[in-house]
Amino acid sequence: MTRMNMPPVLSVDIEDTMDIMIARDTARRAAGLLGFSTSCKAQLAAAVAALAEVILKAGAEGTIHMNGVRNGSKIGLQISCEAGWLHAMSSHAVEEMHGKLSKMVDEVEVVDQNPPTVSLVFWLLPPRQVKE
Amino acid sequence: MALEVLLVEDSKTQAHQIRETLESVGLVVRVAYDGPDGIREAVNAPPALVVLDVKLPTMDGYQVCRRLKMHPATRNIPIIMLTEKTSAEATMTGLNAGADDYIPKDIFATEHLITSLQELGLLE
Repeated sequence: MTRMNMPPVLSVDIEDTMDIMIARDTARRAAGLLGFSTSCKAQLAAAVAALAEVILKAGAEGTIHMNGVRNGSKIGLQISCEAGWLHAMSSHAVEEMHGKLSKMVDEVEVVDQNPPTVSLVFWLLPPRQVKE
Repeated sequence: MALEVLLVEDSKTQAHQIRETLESVGLVVRVAYDGPDGIREAVNAPPALVVLDVKLPTMDGYQVCRRLKMHPATRNIPIIMLTEKTSAEATMTGLNAGADDYIPKDIFATEHLITSLQELGLLE
């Protein structure tokens, strides 16, 4: 099954610590637009904030993109960013980041291309949907 | 009849601000200033919602949340944690303790709190 991107499409520039708060808010909005429950919105906001913290701790700046993603009948939220800053991190720190993010989302993928990217996906499974 | 919210918050200043927000949308607010008091209040007169701080004297908000979610009288009451502890670990600890939402006390807190109240069916 091929994955396709879908709305909403939101981005946040991460340049200083204030942007972590904006990123958290944007994640909640994106998750809300897709129909995630309140607790899942909080979880996704935490994941995006954790990614933003990693960018700033690496002494870098970056843009975090959030978009809907569809795989067959399944939809979810994808969070991604270019991660040139990964080269400056030790393999231990990358593993630590991976482990931390894995506790909050379903998929964490670090793609070693040029530039490298980090991609997180959290699927909108029935228990995660807002109750009507 | 207006829905009642139990606010567990040790800071009187913050309790006052949160109370004003909740009352502005038509909710009735009771305040407990520490964890054990919050649990007693919730068990004795179950509210429609608990808004819970994390940093509390005697017993932290995570413990309060766990206990409320285990007690038969309170396990179905939605709990919103509203806190200054914003790390991913703190958020996951709150959600794993059973919180229905975990809202950082930042400039978006009021907006997120009201959205959360709507989603939990406590506001039209």
